Amino acid sequence: MSRFSKTLSVLAVAAATVGLVTPATAFDRYPGVGRAATPAEVKVWDIDVRPDFAGLPKGKGTVDQGIEVWEANCASCHGAFGESNEVFTPLVGGTTRDDIKTGHVKSLISGSFPQRTTLMKVATVSTLFDYIQRAMPWTAPKSLKPDDVYAVVAYLLNLAEVVPADFELSDQNIAEVQQRMPNRNGMTTDHGMWPGASAAKGGIGNGGKPDTKNVACMKDCKKDVQIVSSLPAYAQDAHGNLAEQNRFVGQTRGKQTGEPGATEAAAPSAAAATLALANSKGCMACHGLSNKIVGPAYADIAAKYKDQDDAAAKLMAKVKAGGQGVWGAVPMPSQGHVKDEEIKQLVQWILEGAKAQ
Amino acid sequence: MANPMRIRAAAKEGVTEVRVLMSHVMETGQRKDSSGALIPAHFITELTAKHNDKVVLSAQFGASVSTNPYLAFKFNGGAKGDKVTVSWVDNKGDSRSDEVQVS
Repeated sequence: MSRFSKTLSVLAVAAATVGLVTPATAFDRYPGVGRAATPAEVKVWDIDVRPDFAGLPKGKGTVDQGIEVWEANCASCHGAFGESNEVFTPLVGGTTRDDIKTGHVKSLISGSFPQRTTLMKVATVSTLFDYIQRAMPWTAPKSLKPDDVYAVVAYLLNLAEVVPADFELSDQNIAEVQQRMPNRNGMTTDHGMWPGASAAKGGIGNGGKPDTKNVACMKDCKKDVQIVSSLPAYAQDAHGNLAEQNRFVGQTRGKQTGEPGATEAAAPSAAAATLALANSKGCMACHGLSNKIVGPAYADIAAKYKDQDDAAAKLMAKVKAGGQGVWGAVPMPSQGHVKDEEIKQLVQWILEGAKAQ
Repeated sequence: MANPMRIRAAAKEGVTEVRVLMSHVMETGQRKDSSGALIPAHFITELTAKHNDKVVLSAQFGASVSTNPYLAFKFNGGAKGDKVTVSWVDNKGDSRSDEVQVS
C-alpha cells in the first residue's frame, strides 16, 4: 500500500466521522434552532472529487472537445496553450517524459524552468478536475458540465504530453491517467498541516508537530543578549536616519544613524533628551512636534511667541496652571505634577523649535 | 530535432488566425552556467509560415525572443481544411517544420 493510498483511507475515515457527528452535536447544542440538511440539499453542496475519485461524476471528454471549451472559456486568461504568463503563472510547462515515468518533477529541484507551473506541482488528477469544476471559469464558476470538465482536463493533460492527442478522458480511465501524472510521487504529508500520527506510526501527518519550532529555555539560559552582527559603518545611513523614521511613542525606536564616519553620540542630545521628557510627561499625547493633535503643534507655538521676550515665563505659567482659549475651546489641563525646572526645560525647547535631535 | 510546435489555425469570416507555441531554448549567448562559462548562443533565426504553398509570414528572430516563443498572427483568406505550415531554422542549422489543418 503506497503512502498516498494510506493518506486516502485515513482522510476518508476522518471525513466520514465529521459527516456523521457534527450536525447531530450542533443541533443538540441549539435545541429548536434549524433542522438537519436533507440529502438533496447536501448533494448540491457535495461536489468535491477526492484523490480516490469518490465524488467523481460520470462523463467523458476528448482532447478535441477540450480545445473548443478551452478557446471559449479559458484561453483569454491562460493562453491558447496554457502557456500564458499574463494573468496567472503558466499552467503547462516544465515537465518532461522522464517525469511522467518517475512521478517526480525534476525541474522543481533543479530550477531549470523559471516558474512552477500547475502541471509541475499537482500530484493528483482529481485535484485538477475538482478545481476546474468548482472554480472555473473565474467569471462563471460551476458553469461547466462534467463532460466539459473531462474535456478540459484531457486537453491540459495533452498539452503536458501526459495523454495523446486522440485521448478521451472518462470516469473509467481517469485512474490510469493518475499513474502518469508528472508529480504524482512528489507530494509529502510529513508536516504540520496534515492530520494524524506520524508516518512511522502508520498515520499520514507528523503527529501534530508544527512546521516551525521555538523552544522556550527553562534552565541554564543565557543571561545577556550578545550582539553577533551589526550593520557596517558604511551601510549605517543607507536609509537615512532611522531614528527620525520611527514613532516617538511606543517601545521601538529607530537606531540613530548618521553620516558615514560621524561620531556616534553616546548620550542623546539635549533636544532628544527633552523630547524624551516630553514623552514621559504626557505632553506628546496632545501636542505634535509640527502637527496639531488636540492641542497646537510646538512649531506653531514657537512661531506665535517668537517675538515676545517674556514668552518663556508666560508659557511656564500656562503649562503649570493650565489654560484655555488661546488655541481653541479645548482646555489644557494643569500640569502641577511636573517640576518647575522641567517645565522650564520643555518651554525652552519648544521656543527653540522643538527639535527631535 | 527539436520538440514539435503546437499550432492552432482557425478561419473566421475570411480571416485565419494562427497561433504557434514553439519549443526552443532560445539561448542568447550572454548567460553563464554555474561554473561561469558562457552558454553558447542557440536561437531561432528565421521563421516562415505558409498557407498551402503561399508564404504568408516570414520573420527574422534573434536572441531577444523568449524561450519557447509564442507567436500569433492573422492572414486574409484561408478556409476550413486548408494547410498551414510553420517552419523555423536556428543558428545551429537545426530546423523544424509542423503543419496543421485550418479549423
